[in-house]
Amino acid sequence: MTSAVSGAEAATADDLPPAPLLRVRELGIRHDGADAEAPASATFEVRRGEVVLLLGPSGAGKSTLALALNGLIPHAVPATLRGSVHVDGLDTATTPVSRLSTRVGMVFQDPDAQLVTGTLQDEVAFGPENLRLPVEEVLARAEDALRRVGLWDRRHENPDRLSGGGRQRLAIACALAMGSPLLVLDEPTANLDPQGIEEVYAALGDLVAAGDRAIVLVEHNLDAVIGITDRVVVLDQQGRTVADGTVDEVLRTRAAELHEMGVWLPVSTLAALRLRAAEWRLDPLPLDPAELRAALDAEDAPAGSASAVSAVSAAHNSASTGVCPTEPADPDASRRSYAREATTTAAAAAAKPLIRVRGLRTRRGRSEILHGIDLDVAAGEFVAIVGANGAGKTTLLQSLAGVLPVPRGQVMLDGVDVGRADLRTLTRRIGFVFQNPEHQFIAHTVFDELAHGLRRQKLSEADVRRRALDVLRRFGLEDKADVHPFLLSGGQKRRLSVGTALVAGAPVLALDEPTFGQDRARADELMRLLSSLSTDGTTILVVTHDMQLVTEHAHRTIVVGDGRIVADAATSEIFADDDLVRAAGLRQPPLRRAFAGLTRHPSLTGITRLADLPAAASTPAARADELRSSASTPQESTASLRSSRDDAEFVRPTLDPTPPAKPDATGEVTG
Amino acid sequence: MSTAIDPWARPDAVDRRFLTGLNPLAKLAAPLPAMVLLIFARDLATPLAFIALSYAVVLLGARLTARTALLVFVALPVAAAVIGLSMSLWTDPARVDSAVVIVRIGDWMLSTGALAVGFATGLRLAAIVALALIAGLTTTGPDLVRASVQQLRVPYRVGYTALAAFRFVPRFGHELEVIRQAHRVRGSHGGRGPFAAIARWWGYLVPLLAGAIRHAERVALAMDARAFGAHPDRTERYLVPWRLRDTVFVLVFWLASAGILIVFFPWTL
Repeated sequence: MTSAVSGAEAATADDLPPAPLLRVRELGIRHDGADAEAPASATFEVRRGEVVLLLGPSGAGKSTLALALNGLIPHAVPATLRGSVHVDGLDTATTPVSRLSTRVGMVFQDPDAQLVTGTLQDEVAFGPENLRLPVEEVLARAEDALRRVGLWDRRHENPDRLSGGGRQRLAIACALAMGSPLLVLDEPTANLDPQGIEEVYAALGDLVAAGDRAIVLVEHNLDAVIGITDRVVVLDQQGRTVADGTVDEVLRTRAAELHEMGVWLPVSTLAALRLRAAEWRLDPLPLDPAELRAALDAEDAPAGSASAVSAVSAAHNSASTGVCPTEPADPDASRRSYAREATTTAAAAAAKPLIRVRGLRTRRGRSEILHGIDLDVAAGEFVAIVGANGAGKTTLLQSLAGVLPVPRGQVMLDGVDVGRADLRTLTRRIGFVFQNPEHQFIAHTVFDELAHGLRRQKLSEADVRRRALDVLRRFGLEDKADVHPFLLSGGQKRRLSVGTALVAGAPVLALDEPTFGQDRARADELMRLLSSLSTDGTTILVVTHDMQLVTEHAHRTIVVGDGRIVADAATSEIFADDDLVRAAGLRQPPLRRAFAGLTRHPSLTGITRLADLPAAASTPAARADELRSSASTPQESTASLRSSRDDAEFVRPTLDPTPPAKPDATGEVTG
Repeated sequence: MSTAIDPWARPDAVDRRFLTGLNPLAKLAAPLPAMVLLIFARDLATPLAFIALSYAVVLLGARLTARTALLVFVALPVAAAVIGLSMSLWTDPARVDSAVVIVRIGDWMLSTGALAVGFATGLRLAAIVALALIAGLTTTGPDLVRASVQQLRVPYRVGYTALAAFRFVPRFGHELEVIRQAHRVRGSHGGRGPFAAIARWWGYLVPLLAGAIRHAERVALAMDARAFGAHPDRTERYLVPWRLRDTVFVLVFWLASAGILIVFFPWTL
């Protein structure tokens, strides 16, 4: 920027509304080596004190855009930038990051990657020290920032001792201490457990209430942030601004259109859209659980659909608690869709369980982590294992799969004692998917990755080839057979890791926090893949923190606390118990929060899944369809979730946008 | 977690022993000449004298925790004895004084000469380690980095980046553990023997490096975003000054070292 331009701006500043703090004009960013720009043409402004939520489908370049706001692109990350970003009148293309850092504070997704020093106080002081501020000023800023996020009392501790939420609050404090009027937060809660997410939002809420900082937020957990948002900017698939306005203007009036585009919306809004289709009015459109509850309580159920609602939810509730529905709307449909759910309880106990755990005590090093676990899992169940950090969830999952050594005779898997079995026997029975798919890749091509498991089973090369190609096709990776696994996109890596776990024919799939650090769309894609596998008869065990995903997909939920099973029941039963959920360090998913307090519509109160909501048509046939696709999310037609359509679904651009081939390291930052 | 070494832990505030108060560079510079010259020593007396000197300094100047006591009184003597014995077994009997034989098994014999040569080596290594303990037991990594930046004029961009890298160590340890676990589950054990082991470790390297590079880039971005490297210097809240006592300590130690070296010259058996 030339001085003439800034002079002109200063001159007009008096008679025009104050210059925006941040001005992004037709911004296009292409990472070096990528062939497309993402974002392609983003345009928006942020004024002082404003909270702007940046939305867009996966692959629109939201994280890349965030990196451009303080000049890290193009100064630190090799990329070509078109258009312009001005912060406080400074052109980011020509102003060094260090100068911009006093105007834009950044909070990234991974709290661990933002720690540099040994105590909380040193950490917060790090930025001001770099600015060469005098010591008293450094300490004053550090104190102020730490107090604002509630960490002042712990200032002498090592950041490693904080929980994930604590570390992310620390990162916010570090950004505050830079004294910048604008904070950019890129998926700040993606790596956190429910408690940590709540902590970070509490800290953010205080920040917004103070009103002294503008905030640009890229976030997928929308139900929690809508309440503090002033304005919403929406990018389309290519990363062009398609909407920019207040929450009311953009979300309330154009929600259906945005949803169509693949933009993730608050779960409460999705639920409301679905209810609207079933002829509820819900005007204005609710955006968070409290609004949805209030809107529902303010109106009568639409004539004609009330009975349908109660029939559906009654069928679901009774089926999932193992009691036969007395008068199912369509007995056939009900039986088909809930047969497997019913097995979770009474029926499961009667049948011979696939996994049988008795008095399991697993040790890690010298300490005992699991203190006597008893557990039965029937074939075909979809089981979620949830609990606070350090409760022993992962240890339990790894014990079941023989990843950790377990004492003999405590875990029986498909008739095999896991404590005695060798790995080859185990991999034929259970596939384990680690949190980071890269950790388990061992071959140089995608094909060999899959073939490895088959060759170990001593199959003929023709068989290996046939079965590996079959899996490739099934997981939408057939054109990637010769690619190195590390060069796949994040979603593809995840699918390959699931494929390698299943290729040896294991009837059980165990996944450790597979949605950790992923955006909502990718998490949802994976969970739908798991649901379709489950429909085909695979038993699924998954450890996760995402309660909405648990309620949407899992038949049964096991709550682990302090190395013991705290509760083990059908998912809907677990989440019906608020005290239990809270005591276990968990939080209710948004839908449950919206519906639990309903006074006017008792038929809706038990609902925790989008799929259980009454949909547009209320003919018996449509309801039956609805029930069958209970694992789906509403934007998918029911048919598309059948496994036969999986292939087509995975290559659909909106579901699997192959991000431009950025250098891997930076690619993951934006992932 | 509690057993993990915290490279950031500062020595207890109550620790007022003189070594903790010295500049880390003084504690490194003082024993350095002796450490270098010990490499050329061939006798028993010189290393023994230096071991005595450094033990005296450490015991007087540092707080003796159970851990350091174990290191100083058990680990180091045992290591010296083991090295001394094995060295004497390897010594060529033709080149040492084999007048007095201690053990004789058939043709093979262990003479006092061989034993002396072996233990001279063991003690020499022990002495060098003991001298390094003067700084090692009483200095934290961050203080050493700060002193290097403040006194040696090491660029702070280098120093503090190295400091940030301290955080990587436990993280990579954990990540390597998970990768090994994952590969074991995939059954890429590859059999026994050194070649299979090399292949196995090679397999761990790729995901470990990919993760490491990505993590390092993220940390670098986060540091950039907080104005790291913006100016030629930065505010130092912890000063690690070079005081008169540092000079005195270094000079006195050098004089003591010179005294020992002169007394025992020419340092041969």
